[in-house]
Amino acid sequence: MPLSITKRQNGAATIVDVTGEITLFNAPDLRKVLMELLKVEKARVIVNMTNSAYIDSAGVACLVEALKVARESKLPFAIFGLNRVAKEVFELTRLIHVFDVYGSEEEALRAAQQAPSSAAV
Amino acid sequence: MPVTETLGQATIDGLAYLGDLAILMGRSLHAIIVAPFQGQRLRGQRVVHQAMSAGVGAIPILSLISFFIGVIMALQSAYELRKLGAIALVARAVAISITRELAPLITAIVVIGRSGSAFAAEIGSMKVNEEIDALETMALDPIQFLVAPKLLAMLLMLPCLTTWADFMGILGGATFGVSVAGFTLGSYIQATLHSIAFRDIVTGLIKSVMFGAVITAVGCQEGLSTGLGAEQVGRSTTSAVVKSIFLVVAVDLVFTLLFYFTTSR
Amino acid sequence: MRPRSSRDESGRQADGGIAIRVRNLRVNYGEHEVLHNIGFDVKAGETIAILGGSGSGKTTLLRSLVGLERPSGGAIWIRGQDLCCISPREMAELRKKFGISFQGGALFGSMTVGENVALPLREHTRLDDSTIEVLVRLKLEEVGLSGYEDYNPAQLSGGMKKRAAIARALTMDPEILFFDEPSAGLDPIIAAGIDDLILKLKRAFGMTIVVVTHELASAFLIADRMVLVDKGNIIAIGTPEEMKANPQPRVRQFLDRVPDPEVSADEGFLDRLTQNLRL
Ligand SMILES: Nc1ncnc2c1ncn2[C@@H]1O[C@H](COP(=O)(O)OP(=O)(O)OP(=O)(O)O)[C@@H](O)[C@H]1O
Ligand SMILES: [Mg+2]
Repeated sequence: MPLSITKRQNGAATIVDVTGEITLFNAPDLRKVLMELLKVEKARVIVNMTNSAYIDSAGVACLVEALKVARESKLPFAIFGLNRVAKEVFELTRLIHVFDVYGSEEEALRAAQQAPSSAAV
Repeated sequence: MPVTETLGQATIDGLAYLGDLAILMGRSLHAIIVAPFQGQRLRGQRVVHQAMSAGVGAIPILSLISFFIGVIMALQSAYELRKLGAIALVARAVAISITRELAPLITAIVVIGRSGSAFAAEIGSMKVNEEIDALETMALDPIQFLVAPKLLAMLLMLPCLTTWADFMGILGGATFGVSVAGFTLGSYIQATLHSIAFRDIVTGLIKSVMFGAVITAVGCQEGLSTGLGAEQVGRSTTSAVVKSIFLVVAVDLVFTLLFYFTTSR
Repeated sequence: MRPRSSRDESGRQADGGIAIRVRNLRVNYGEHEVLHNIGFDVKAGETIAILGGSGSGKTTLLRSLVGLERPSGGAIWIRGQDLCCISPREMAELRKKFGISFQGGALFGSMTVGENVALPLREHTRLDDSTIEVLVRLKLEEVGLSGYEDYNPAQLSGGMKKRAAIARALTMDPEILFFDEPSAGLDPIIAAGIDDLILKLKRAFGMTIVVVTHELASAFLIADRMVLVDKGNIIAIGTPEEMKANPQPRVRQFLDRVPDPEVSADEGFLDRLTQNLRL
């Protein structure tokens, strides 16, 4: 399935809905979207992986880059909706505890709103 | 009977070898000229790297050798011309022999020693170490990845080096001319410019491009056909040098004949 | 390139499709036939361990599977494509889905460890340099080599080379992994780490994995099925349980680690020792 990435605003956060498989060949598209949100718009980003059946190491690497940028600008950055296989990939790369991973959009949103915002204002 | 048989076999082997070289050349040229239009990158960085080591790295030693050759040519021709009272023709003799023949040949020999042997050793040790297999199984064509950048670098660098050798050789001649044969620097340059035609330089450069192709093809072919075991790398390197020198001289002969018969009448 | 969804049917998911099919395979080195009439299947998502004595032809078999040795007979299908008859371009596309670590590592001596691991990504994808950098570090981390990006292969120990080669085989998250003795020469802790990695790769990516190994314990741990090769023939094939129950003497000897019986020195022995000598 081709990758589609859409953005929507939900409260204080921007939800990035990822649909389809994130692979070596389309990971740069995801990276571009995330980097623009984090660097230009200084948004609080939550990545919705519910409809993404598969993510490979390159996709994970892009998320790592995004997380680094978010941490540097003290922006919350969260992921939710990882399926079993995606969780395995995060566990394989030992990143499951590095990211803020939530079960649902509400949880992720609540956490993002609570997070102190230094850059957003 | 065995003699003719051996001779026949040697001829067949020789032709087969030339065929292998031609195939290697064809595939590398394809990688240089056609593949970039099919969306496959030509590895610019590798070309630059090769051009630096094969080209720029050769300049010091090449300068020295071609300067000496220039002096030697001047001495040798002055020896004869003096008897004829025509010592003023030294500049002409040096200029023509250097640009037409000696600069391309000396450059080729220096490059064979420095780069042709290095190509064979590099690719040969990659072969022995299964690195060539690794490249192939990564869907990287060894010819496109290894040979093509070397070929492009050599095709670009040999004419440049040859031009530089022309200059250094003539400088060598001038040093003799000014210090012994009564030229001033100005008059020597004048005499040189009068005696060489543009064509002399161009034929020299065309030859040097051919030499570049031969040296790369032989070096890489020897490397790629390296057998098993480390001592085979040494064997490949040696035979790359010997075969390149032979083929460069053979190509030189063919081209010189060609130029002779197409321009003399 | 084919759409990813169609690849999934045979590759990514362990749905029982056939990833590798080998029939009547024969491979020669010159006159010398090394593999005789080899045949087996590897299902997609399955881990197969190839076991066998030294010199029995395991490496040769692996090299044939990835198209480095040309069979003198028989056929190999990978993901349904017959290796004998596919175009170089199709072969290249297929090989982009392979990850291979050679018995000797085969790291590129002219590149650093990091560049070695990054090479397939740089050549085959348009990932940003920084993504590649992160990915390379992730892979080196997985094999326990973090911090060695800038080392030259020559500066690594034997076991470290082996692990760097594994990291390189993994960079593209391949569909089919071929490992030639991945844990030979590694200490028990790291060898166990590699076994663990193989199991995780299988779970996370559903990779099809072909491992040549001498380590019986490791083979029993990671393999769904085992192939036992002896002098160029397959003498047994089956799940670890089936192998344990296999009564064939040669299989038992291999699995129970029994040395060959000592042959008493006969006439032939003296002849062998003194063959071609002018005394
Ligand atoms: N390039 C080659 N040329 C000629 N013979 C070879 C070559 N490679 C291997 N052989 C021979 O093929 C046979 C099988 O070798 P192979 O490397 O496949 O064994 P293996 O099972 O991998 O052994 P090991 O467990 O020791 O690695 C051996 O008898 C070997 O001598
Ligand atoms: Mg082996």
